[in-house]
Amino acid sequence: MIRQSLRCTGLLQNSSRAYSVIPPPRDTEEKDMMHRMLRVDHAGEYGANRIYAGQMAVLGRSRTGPLIQQMWDQEKKHLAKFNDILAENRVRPTALLPLWNLAGFVLGASTALLGKEGAMACTVAVEESISEHYNSQIRALMESDPERYTELLQVIKEFRDDEMDHHDIGLEHDAESLPGYWLLKNAIQLGCKAAIYASQRI
Amino acid sequence: MAALLRGLRAGRLLRGLTSVVAAPTSTHAQGSSLRRGFHFAALRLQDESKFDKPSASSSSSSSSSTTTNEHHQAHSAEQDTEAASQQDFDPNGSDQEQDEDFETEEQRQTRILTAAMEFVPLHGWSMEAIAAGAESLGLSSASTGMFYNGAGDLVLHFISQCNSKLTEILAEQHNQVQLGQAEPKKTADFLRDAVETRLRMYIPYIETWPQAMSILLLPHNIPDSLKHLSSMVDDIWYYAGDRSTDMNWYTKRAVLTGLYNTTELVMLQDSSPDFQDTWTFLDNRIQDVVNMATTAKQMQSTGEAVAQGLMGAAVTLKNLTGLNQRR
Repeated sequence: MIRQSLRCTGLLQNSSRAYSVIPPPRDTEEKDMMHRMLRVDHAGEYGANRIYAGQMAVLGRSRTGPLIQQMWDQEKKHLAKFNDILAENRVRPTALLPLWNLAGFVLGASTALLGKEGAMACTVAVEESISEHYNSQIRALMESDPERYTELLQVIKEFRDDEMDHHDIGLEHDAESLPGYWLLKNAIQLGCKAAIYASQRI
Repeated sequence: MAALLRGLRAGRLLRGLTSVVAAPTSTHAQGSSLRRGFHFAALRLQDESKFDKPSASSSSSSSSSTTTNEHHQAHSAEQDTEAASQQDFDPNGSDQEQDEDFETEEQRQTRILTAAMEFVPLHGWSMEAIAAGAESLGLSSASTGMFYNGAGDLVLHFISQCNSKLTEILAEQHNQVQLGQAEPKKTADFLRDAVETRLRMYIPYIETWPQAMSILLLPHNIPDSLKHLSSMVDDIWYYAGDRSTDMNWYTKRAVLTGLYNTTELVMLQDSSPDFQDTWTFLDNRIQDVVNMATTAKQMQSTGEAVAQGLMGAAVTLKNLTGLNQRR
């Protein structure tokens, strides 16, 4: 059909664009896949930033403040990296950003109001979901063509390791001693899964 | 090829023009590009004689339409060479005539639609224009059976062609700025020029453009026309240097889409020479957007200052009442 040919001309235009981390897409299918991945990663880092902002608003002046600040700074670097990648590859950011802005802040602030342990439990839950999500992306990329996505894989692996560090820091700081830890963690992880699902598509 | 056969069969059923169907395809196989060139020239002469009107505006439009015809012809020639370079089916396929036999269905459709564009002023955005385009390429008019969406395919083809032309122009400007050969424009000027360049591509077809717009608004064409519109707006913003990855991404595109569409509507009713009224309208709307952006920025900084003041007041109050204990 003619629509396919129109799509082809669109692709020819795309191939002339600059890139660094992501190779130029071969077809619309690959392009859609990459855009979905990058969009959800960007949304995830954005949400994580907002969660730490919420925690800092409550616990910023307590003893755990510097620790949270340190993790937040790393998340800021991640977000900046994904901002660059998105802009460079002309990926549409998710339309749900205002929602994640609010939801992230509320989640961070409300768990921090439960005390230091609450904040850490929230960190553990969120970081676990995010690193699981990164792992699944790494698996998908390795399955399709590891040579092609070397640079992207490197970025994602590095970020995944950072998230795992945050997860471990949370566990070290008595996240599990929070009453109702299991319930809170599972509720947050369910929310994270829903957020990932929605951000990929919208 | 299979689709062409299908189209031919459909034509046979509908019109019973078996002999007509068979004859032009065989001549096409032998026909040289030279002959096609003559054919084009003859048709263009015909067109001009038909459209030769005394009024100044129509004569200018007909002359501009011939230039676009030339452009389209050049474009189709480019596409042919592109097709030749892309296809590796035939090891000794240096001959272009030979390669044409191997062109895919989509390439042939693109070629027919490109040829049909010059019949749009005559037949409007219709199957007749496509049929005339196919005949001008030496194909049977029954090959219109390939286009399930008829006039919609023609309009969408035109739009996508305009969009890629605009992208090329913008990319060229971008390159020149990067090489230091041209001054970077202000964003407002850049947007204005981009929208004007894009809308000027409609001038040769302005008489029939309302019809095309109504075709684009048919329910089954809406997804594609929206896709083309959004990709065009996205291209303009990209080359304007927009790298936003927050809600600005959406507001910017929404603003430009609205601006483009309203200007397009103004253009349809504009009878001033060289559409001067339209470009004035465009200038004013761009100015509105710039004003709005500065106002929003001022509001934001004012809001931040107020929020900081309130926070300070709250802290003072907390200190006074002795509530400010560290956890």
